[in-house]
Amino acid sequence: MNHPSRLYRWLLLGSSLVSLVFLVLAAVQENYFSQWQVVQRQYQSLLKDKATDERGQELYRSFRVELRQVSVPGLNAVDRCVSCHVGIDDPRMTDVPQPFAVHPGDILEKHPVDRFGCTVCHQGQGPATNFLDAKAEDAFWDYPLLTAELTQSSCLSCHDPERIPARQVELLVAGRQLYEEKSCGSCHRLEGRGGTLGPVLDDVGSKTRHQLTMVNLDPPHTTWRWHQAHFRDPAGLVPGSQMKNPTVTEREALALTVYMLAWRQRDVPESYLAPDKIEQKFRAFHPQPLGGEQVYRQYCLACHGDGTFGQWNKTFQRFIPAVRGPGLRAVATPDYLEANIAQGRPGTLMPSWHRQAGGLLPEELRAVVAYLQRGETERVVAGSRVPRGDPDHGERLFAQNCIGCHGPAGRGGAAPELANPTFQQAATDEFIVTTIRFGRKETAMPAFQRPGVAGLTDAELADLLAYLRQLAPPASGQAAALSPPGTKKGGGLP
Amino acid sequence: MAAPTVPQPGESAPREFLHNLRRLPSTFKGAWLRLGKVPESEREESQATFHNFFLHIHSVRVHVRTLAPTLTLGLGLIATASFVLLCITGVLLMVYYKPSTELAYQSMKDIHFTVATGRFVRNIHRWSAHVMVIAVFLHMARVFFTASYKKPREFNWLIGLSLLVVTLALSFTGYLLPWDQLAYWAITIGSNIANSPRELTDAVGITGWFDPGGFQRRLLLGANYVGEDALIRFYILHVFVLPVVLVILVSVHFWRIRKDGGLARPEDSMGGPAEWGGQMRPVFQPLASKTYGLMALVRGQRPPVNRGPENTLMSWPHLFWAELAVFMLTVLISLALSFFFDAPLKEIANPAIPENPAKAPWYFLGIQELVSYSAFTGGLVIPVVALLGLALIPFLDRRPGGEGIWFGTPGEGLVAGRSALFGLVLAVGMLAFTVNFGWLRSWLPQIHQLWILVINPGTLLVLLYAAWSLWILKRKNSVRLAAVALFTCFLVGFAVLTYFATVHRGPNWEFYWWPSQWPVH
Repeated sequence: MNHPSRLYRWLLLGSSLVSLVFLVLAAVQENYFSQWQVVQRQYQSLLKDKATDERGQELYRSFRVELRQVSVPGLNAVDRCVSCHVGIDDPRMTDVPQPFAVHPGDILEKHPVDRFGCTVCHQGQGPATNFLDAKAEDAFWDYPLLTAELTQSSCLSCHDPERIPARQVELLVAGRQLYEEKSCGSCHRLEGRGGTLGPVLDDVGSKTRHQLTMVNLDPPHTTWRWHQAHFRDPAGLVPGSQMKNPTVTEREALALTVYMLAWRQRDVPESYLAPDKIEQKFRAFHPQPLGGEQVYRQYCLACHGDGTFGQWNKTFQRFIPAVRGPGLRAVATPDYLEANIAQGRPGTLMPSWHRQAGGLLPEELRAVVAYLQRGETERVVAGSRVPRGDPDHGERLFAQNCIGCHGPAGRGGAAPELANPTFQQAATDEFIVTTIRFGRKETAMPAFQRPGVAGLTDAELADLLAYLRQLAPPASGQAAALSPPGTKKGGGLP
Repeated sequence: MAAPTVPQPGESAPREFLHNLRRLPSTFKGAWLRLGKVPESEREESQATFHNFFLHIHSVRVHVRTLAPTLTLGLGLIATASFVLLCITGVLLMVYYKPSTELAYQSMKDIHFTVATGRFVRNIHRWSAHVMVIAVFLHMARVFFTASYKKPREFNWLIGLSLLVVTLALSFTGYLLPWDQLAYWAITIGSNIANSPRELTDAVGITGWFDPGGFQRRLLLGANYVGEDALIRFYILHVFVLPVVLVILVSVHFWRIRKDGGLARPEDSMGGPAEWGGQMRPVFQPLASKTYGLMALVRGQRPPVNRGPENTLMSWPHLFWAELAVFMLTVLISLALSFFFDAPLKEIANPAIPENPAKAPWYFLGIQELVSYSAFTGGLVIPVVALLGLALIPFLDRRPGGEGIWFGTPGEGLVAGRSALFGLVLAVGMLAFTVNFGWLRSWLPQIHQLWILVINPGTLLVLLYAAWSLWILKRKNSVRLAAVALFTCFLVGFAVLTYFATVHRGPNWEFYWWPSQWPVH
């Protein structure tokens, strides 16, 4: 015969007992088998083995198994890494495995753990008390633990890498050199200097894995694995990426990765900055002008190549003009070139490079113009005065001769856009007529008036010129704002 | 030396003092437990019940049907037990949690990594919350399908509904507190639902001077975005306002159970056999030779005279064993879940990196699915209509019968089964159609938003469910069966939508068979 509450009494007994088991298990797991406790007990026996002298004995006796942390309010860090890396500043711990070993090198002499913590250089999850969570790879933590090689990327936050012994920041310095060598500045902006085609890179090292396209990367999805793969094959990692393949080796990609990770806009208190960092920041605000060739290599080369031949760029589906060829030199004045560089070509991919935009100094603009014009120049001079004819007839001529490359209404196609405001402002009548008459040697632009061959007459040239000038967009406030103060307006406007 | 049992008059005060000191344990026990021992007779068992503050809300005897595990499944108690667990763990968490956007996340990490058993306590808090929400939903379904809302329990049904709302609000406000990405974006979605009247005011073009959606959102967040003000508001609601409201409502809920005559059950039949070795016997055996007067005023249609075996047992110990068992079972469920599964904690909240998909807490995902069709109708109109409909049930279905019996009205099981099938097919079909063919906006891109507001999968689903219920009303000629049809449809629809949005909605709220197929961004 069943007691009416028999079921409930058994249920109560059962669930109470099992609950008790869970509570005990949780308590034991928490209080005796946390990773840091196991590690510290092992460390304790290590201390005992190494207690050969008075001081060692004392260290062993005073050792307590307890949670340890370094709190660095200035860096907003609470790092519990030392709960397992207990011997991080004990010089005797050289022949022991991780996590007991002393920190390699002499870095801790200048960066004592109690003043700097760990994550300021190594990243990773400081609050964690076990290695998996501290490493935080593919975990819910924004900045996982950097690998040993990548840790030098953190030096840039407080140092000018050039003032650090080179062997410590080998990859960082190499990365910076590669950045200049590969002309990354043509498209990317750093510290206010560079092009606009790609993203600004000042804070690229702060990006989390969620801000990068990880679809084509095998796990683990760390930002550095992404960067390294991306430098090897940008479009392979980001479908439709317009970034030019920088053609680097695996090692070079690693160096560039370190350099990218280094760019983090962190709130580091001034007291943590090395004096040379402050000087470096000062220099960034007051840059020394570079020479013309250097400017060209860092900020032009990626698109214009060596500049002697115009190219059709498949990615952008655009024609990229030759800027150092004799053909252009023959007609272009320094003013024309400087205006084009300083203002860019609105509507095309050529950005503006003056101080407030691309960040080049006036001296640098002049220097790069001088660099572009260096070389043999056979200056071609058109007639002293170029008349303008009948634009309607010019339009018909344009349709017959020019529209194929320069596009309807001069909006550009395979050849540059003639309706472009910068072009219209900077190019003189002389420039235009001369170019049509003699062609542009290093490009596909043919000569339309060659001696002994049928071509356009002078009158027809005048008509064409009149038509081309009609293409100029009405001068707007925006176009005016684009021209930097002091830049001479393109001549030849009536 | 045996202590004298009674102090002798005229004994000196020091002796009396020593005497009392010696007897302190037993006098204290007597004062504390009143009875001072395990009750032995039914009289003492009665005293044990009504002399105890915590037990006196129970009646002294409890009906055997109430004790049967199959009537209530213990759901109300499970909800209560998880609330008790939530209060205990919640207070422990409050010791370490810091409600500020600067510190909240760090304090969560501290609780997780360094507070002794902090991770475990937080896990219990998280899982108990889920257990409570599920238990409250199921409890409502239980009360409905056993027709326990009928007279005189109409008002308690309403209190129960308010408890459902407060429970959801408690869980929702707690969601924000960890200040991680999950919290931040779930609350962003939630507060956008509060903002949903804007869809209507925008469509009509009056948002400029009449903006109840924006007002609701600002009231909830204290700002136009989820930030410090929202956090402190949610914190106060979560740890003070809502728990107090819940405790008051639960007290009334319990008190009404007692005053409404215990749990709903059918009338007892006369002359049932005494069971369990005479422990359950008729409490009242009218003698033919005597007349009986009414000794107290009790609710009911007639005084409980001549009713025969009441099939009751002593609450002490039978009911209390049952309650303790269910309580410990709830504890066990929460502990087991907490032992094996950690409560989620994502990256620190970052307004610059949206979660995709950003999902509300699971119990709001059905609503979020409706919101994806139309924010205003899905987020506000349909839930309000559903709540209103639920509130009206006991006032529209007033024919007694079937109380306390699962599917007790004749034909109810069949109607419930068919309605479940109807609700399931319709909800799944509607979702399948929407996923495959899109909706008005995909066919007529220029259509005015008002059309979508009125005609969308959500409203169609509600209308078809209502039509089905009306058809049952006409065909079966029973208000109760019509209510069963509608309730079942809504329950199934809610479950389908919740499941669908949880499992099959991925980034950009697009359809995926499994979360593992979500594209890596």
